[in-house]
Amino acid sequence: MKLPSFFQNKPRFLFGLPVGPLRLVALLLLLGLSGYIYYLDVTIREAFDGRKFALPARVYGRALEVYPGLKLTRDQFVGEMKSLGYHDNPQPDTPATYRNILNGIEFTTRDFVFGDGDQPSQHLRIGFADDKVSSLQVRGSKDVDLPLLRMDPPLIGGIYPGHNEDRELVRLNQVPKMLINALIATEDRKFYTHWGIDPRGIARALYKAFTGQRIEGGSTLTQQLVKNFFLTPERTLTRKANEALMALLLELHYSKGEILETYLNEIFLGQDANRSINGFGLASYFYFDRPLDRLEPQEIATLVGMVKGPTVYDPRRHPELSLKRRDVVLKIMVSQNVITQAQFVVAHRKPLGVIKRAPAGTSPYPAFLQFVHLQLQRDYREEDLRSEGLRIFTTLDPFVQHQAEQALKIRLAALEKQHKITANTLEGAVVVSSTQTGEIQAMVGGRDARYAGLNRAVDAQRSIGSLIKPIIYLTALEDPEHYTLITPLDDSPLVWSQQGSPDWKPNNYDRLFHGQVQLRTALAHSYNVATARLGIGLGIENILGKLPLFGIQRQPPPFASSLLGAFGLSPVEVSQLYQTFADGGFRTPLRAIRTIVTADGKPLQRFPLNVEPVAPPGPVYLLTAALQGVVREGTAQSLNNWLPAGMNVAGKTGTTDDLRDSWFAGYTGDRVAVVWVGHDDNQPTGLTGASGAMTVWGEMMKNIQPEPLEPAMPDDVVMVNVGPVSGLRYDTDCKAGMLLPFIKGSAPTETSPCDTSPADESAAKAEAKPGGNQDSGKKNWFQRLFN
Amino acid sequence: MKNLSSRFFVTAWLLLLAGCASVTTPALTTTPAPPGAQAGQTVVIAPLPKTAMSNNHAVIALLDQARTDNDSGRREAAGSSLERALRIEPRNPWLWLELAQLRLTQGQYAQAITLAGKANSFAGHDSRVQAANWQVIGQARVALGNSAGAEQAFKLSADLAQQAKADNNSDYNLK
Repeated sequence: MKLPSFFQNKPRFLFGLPVGPLRLVALLLLLGLSGYIYYLDVTIREAFDGRKFALPARVYGRALEVYPGLKLTRDQFVGEMKSLGYHDNPQPDTPATYRNILNGIEFTTRDFVFGDGDQPSQHLRIGFADDKVSSLQVRGSKDVDLPLLRMDPPLIGGIYPGHNEDRELVRLNQVPKMLINALIATEDRKFYTHWGIDPRGIARALYKAFTGQRIEGGSTLTQQLVKNFFLTPERTLTRKANEALMALLLELHYSKGEILETYLNEIFLGQDANRSINGFGLASYFYFDRPLDRLEPQEIATLVGMVKGPTVYDPRRHPELSLKRRDVVLKIMVSQNVITQAQFVVAHRKPLGVIKRAPAGTSPYPAFLQFVHLQLQRDYREEDLRSEGLRIFTTLDPFVQHQAEQALKIRLAALEKQHKITANTLEGAVVVSSTQTGEIQAMVGGRDARYAGLNRAVDAQRSIGSLIKPIIYLTALEDPEHYTLITPLDDSPLVWSQQGSPDWKPNNYDRLFHGQVQLRTALAHSYNVATARLGIGLGIENILGKLPLFGIQRQPPPFASSLLGAFGLSPVEVSQLYQTFADGGFRTPLRAIRTIVTADGKPLQRFPLNVEPVAPPGPVYLLTAALQGVVREGTAQSLNNWLPAGMNVAGKTGTTDDLRDSWFAGYTGDRVAVVWVGHDDNQPTGLTGASGAMTVWGEMMKNIQPEPLEPAMPDDVVMVNVGPVSGLRYDTDCKAGMLLPFIKGSAPTETSPCDTSPADESAAKAEAKPGGNQDSGKKNWFQRLFN
Repeated sequence: MKNLSSRFFVTAWLLLLAGCASVTTPALTTTPAPPGAQAGQTVVIAPLPKTAMSNNHAVIALLDQARTDNDSGRREAAGSSLERALRIEPRNPWLWLELAQLRLTQGQYAQAITLAGKANSFAGHDSRVQAANWQVIGQARVALGNSAGAEQAFKLSADLAQQAKADNNSDYNLK
């Protein structure tokens, strides 16, 4: 067999070099170069394929449901529309526009794909009267009443890939021709014919390098894309060479269309705090709040102009430079026949037209977003969250959130001033949820609600003090043979010895012992000694063992002091506990996420409403009555400075040793809210639950305007008129008595003539005081509560 | 299901036929008699017009949507609409009942029982909704193999339905 002549006739030169050692060197070089090129090839392909579809998860707040009869003012609705990026427009017929009319608003909604289907854009008119929605109509040749409108939900943040890159993916066929042509005319006129590099550009760059000038320009779109993949500020010759090689390699592997599409989605076009704005799709929203296909020529020119220097030509920060650059691009566009002379004349005269505030990207609600992210991490891989373009529909209500943030901010500043606490040292956290659905409507992680640092609502474990007490009282009330709301409890000195802990001598906050007190009074005034004795009698383990049932996984130490809350819980855990009291003994796990939808709109996961019965409704009803007593006549009485007594709020203050933690947990007919106030370093604040956290709670609820608390009376409960002090049964029409709920069969049987002695009368008056309806005579507060 | 839906509009009264062999839940779903359900233990409660379940048109629109979705087997979407309705009227026992019935259809029997219990907690003295709730509880108990408990529930349901019928003439129109 004959070998090919190449091997038979030894050449004397290889690549023009003499054979021998030199040939070896050349071969090695060639091998090395091949290896290097292979390395570059792998790197650039990985970058290209990997980044192509990295789409952040988008997180939405609750979609406002609007219907006639809804409590909603015109201002609130305009606020909602503004936060959704709707614009005031004399002709509100394009999506996301509105205009005020007499007694109402005309507007047009956006198309939106919800987890349960598409919702097309609609032309609508809404009317307001008496702070309510009075009418809702579809505008047309003939207006049609609409029973219900679901607004598009507010975007409240994202979970971004890699270096916090955000983008709105666009397909090549969705990008206006004008933009592509303008880009190519401005940046790379030979894009469709070159192999990835422009030899003349390279020559120019080389010349500049040798003459010691700054290396710039001359990059093709392909090179720019490569550069964008590996963003580093250095501008060396090696780098340029690498970029050029990678550009050539990219062109070998991918079509012009693929390269252009990736470029359009990848190119860096601005910065929003720590989020980077990548691609024209997102930039279009970020600067003009419109999709690409609705941009006008001068707006396209602005964006194309930014490619040269997104920071220098940032139209918000440097409007003049940006405008100049835009006009340069417009001139190129007309000279390259991208636009007509007429279009140029019109476009040239227009202002930049950039929207003032960019749509939310970096979340204004970092605490809530962190909580959502935490929940997602249980079910999803981090890289999927950051790249699959999931759309996450959450429960956050921006209105409630705003009230919670404001109340915390305003009250903490006021408390510092009032109690001579060093300014800006108090911290706090708030959680608000819906009573019946367990949805978290607001979460504030600190007084600077925008700061994405420590989320105290979730991460702060602080002693809960008296917030634990309702569990003890509920346990007692579950045994109606032995305990009712008027059972006398012993509030005399107590010493408790338990193995493993020193003798325990609980004290009351007022340092007094109150002797025999009714159960409801002991809770209302948060008497520690009576409560501790009650809890010990019921069994420490029995009480603490109930916590998991109420959704608290953390196990407190098995000591009697735990009965008075000498262990830490986070505000969100406390919310879960009180949610169950508020919901009549049904535990609904608190939820922050409703649905997760894939990038193309297919439902991926729903978090349906789940309810567990964990406490019998009768005793829970009695407990709520006792917790209403806390607000009416007990430690939280001053809540009446914020909310009318008719709100019938049920709540509990919590104050820990040396006034380190100030808590208030309470509920209305529709909401459960928990507030914690304290110092991060656990130093005393001088605030009780009532003087600190409760004022935040009151301020917030006053502005939220919740529904009054009117729990449904379970079948096994009866209302009985009793003497407030004697606890004896009165005739139903005895005005000196007070109506209290009892589990059937547990009400006092011993009757007494209607006693209007001073003791009982004053007590009865005290009960009736906050009820509002003073002239109703015999109707006392309980009748008004539970009618 | 379609003709059943249309009956919601025409049937103005809650009718009761104790001792009927087939089981029909009043509103959202029609569930075949679960294995073990015995004749004589079940009642047929004719559905209530939706306008009697809520006077909020938004809630009724969502109920319609939920039923349409449910009729075409889109249970998740039906659940989603019911939850939207519940956000508007969280204390409406009929909505909790609908959700309980949906869970029953989905085979989530323990949830069905809890949700029907929750519906009961908001029912006040409305024996119509209570009767329907106990009907759901009975069926769920049958499916869970608790025949004694089911029998109790069906009995209670029948009694409540009787009472509802008696109440019909007196206070129905007051609602």
